[in-house]
Amino acid sequence: MDLDLVWEAIPLIWKGASTTASLTAWALVLGTIGALILALMRLSSIKPFRWFAAGFGWLFRGIPLLILLFFAFFALPDLNIGIVDGILLEPFQAAVVALSIWTAAYQAEVIRSGIIAVDPGQAEASEALGMAKARYMRRIIIPQGVRIMIPPYTSNAMTLLKQTSLATLVTVPEMTLLTQRLFSNDFQFRERIAALALLYLAMTTVFVVIQQVTERTFRLKV
Amino acid sequence: MALVNVSGLRKSFGKTDVLKGVDFQVERGEVISIIGPSGSGKTTMLRCVNLLERPTGGRIEVDSRVLCEEQANGSMTFADKAAIREAREHIGMVFQRFNLFPHMTAVENVIEAPIAVKNVPKPEATARAHELLEAVGLGHKGDSYPMQLSGGQQQRVAIARALAMDPTLMLFDEVTSAVDPELAGEILLVMKRLAEQGMTMLVVTHEMGFAAEVADRVLFIDHGRIVEQGPAADVLQNPSHERTKAFLHAVLDRAPMEAEVEEAAEGLVDDLLVRPERIGGDDDGS
Repeated sequence: MDLDLVWEAIPLIWKGASTTASLTAWALVLGTIGALILALMRLSSIKPFRWFAAGFGWLFRGIPLLILLFFAFFALPDLNIGIVDGILLEPFQAAVVALSIWTAAYQAEVIRSGIIAVDPGQAEASEALGMAKARYMRRIIIPQGVRIMIPPYTSNAMTLLKQTSLATLVTVPEMTLLTQRLFSNDFQFRERIAALALLYLAMTTVFVVIQQVTERTFRLKV
Repeated sequence: MALVNVSGLRKSFGKTDVLKGVDFQVERGEVISIIGPSGSGKTTMLRCVNLLERPTGGRIEVDSRVLCEEQANGSMTFADKAAIREAREHIGMVFQRFNLFPHMTAVENVIEAPIAVKNVPKPEATARAHELLEAVGLGHKGDSYPMQLSGGQQQRVAIARALAMDPTLMLFDEVTSAVDPELAGEILLVMKRLAEQGMTMLVVTHEMGFAAEVADRVLFIDHGRIVEQGPAADVLQNPSHERTKAFLHAVLDRAPMEAEVEEAAEGLVDDLLVRPERIGGDDDGS
């Protein structure tokens, strides 16, 4: 392996890093908002909400992300239902849609399991004090649930970051696509792919650090 | 008029009938100990008073507010959510396992509900919290987190938290059962002082000493029914029902156990093992 070729590739591939990062950021923000709504629906006492949220999780955790991505990019333009007459998305938009749905489905489970893991005695104590549910969810239950959610939430976020590489297949110019362009010109597969792996590793490391910091922030004082 | 009026109270979990028709009243300022074997329904009964458990039959009225009522056709009507919350503001509850908010300091635990529910300004709530923590002997622990406190201290914070809402009624659910025996005393002392100050209290407990010394009345409950009730001295010293006698034997025998163990060490092992009352008591408790 020629290390010089690895180093030389890094700045070239890095040009796609901002696309990788913004795909991740968009999907994480939109997906987390969706996940929070889905988790609260799943825990609601209103049955249709629970059914919808459970169905969403079943469907979008059960289908490969690549198929979601192909659907958003290739199939949506042909979609005709009612007033909707085909939705044509840019490659980047299609990738954000697919990745957001994927994130929402997975993070909803993380949020839900974090909330139900909190001791039911906490809700009881809040109720006995006359607190309304919205108040004690926000002040008592969710802050304690977050502590439980951090590790699996971060794992999913890291998976999301790596899954953005699939956007290559709908021609989003992110890191993996730029790497492919490089090695299909010069056939230096080992060096170019090693450089790409290093860059993903550097980016996922950010999440590892964020996890450590947030875990420390939310740790209970003993 | 009585502060608490419970009549015909029934509660089933699935096919298990835990409460089979319970009637009792609590006058203002009265301290009532509820005793009975485990599984007798005493905790469920207490939890019905603030509707943490929803009864399947009967009527509950607290401070002239009807919380639930059985209709002529047998269906239950409950007060609406807001009315239940309003009633709970005046009913403090202390739990066996404290249920303090672990991510908040002692003071934050105490001020949370007054600020959230009664819109008390934070400085005012904080000043009151310090007073209450002082009153339960924890004036110096206001900035401690629950996990930094002993079980006895946590339970006293929980009492202060309930008192911060200025309740007219306090419910205590086996509040010394989860703490080390040597720390139970500090909790009982706080409760005794509270009783002396005229608080109306319903106390589910295994502490017969507390029942004897502090309670005005004792309710003995078994298999979902009140078997016997009356002034503490009567029920505890001259129980009229066999089941009450058996239960009290089983519980009160535990106290002189140490002395018995010493006797046993002197060669009375057989006697200790075959005490008929204890065997009878165990059966009753199962």
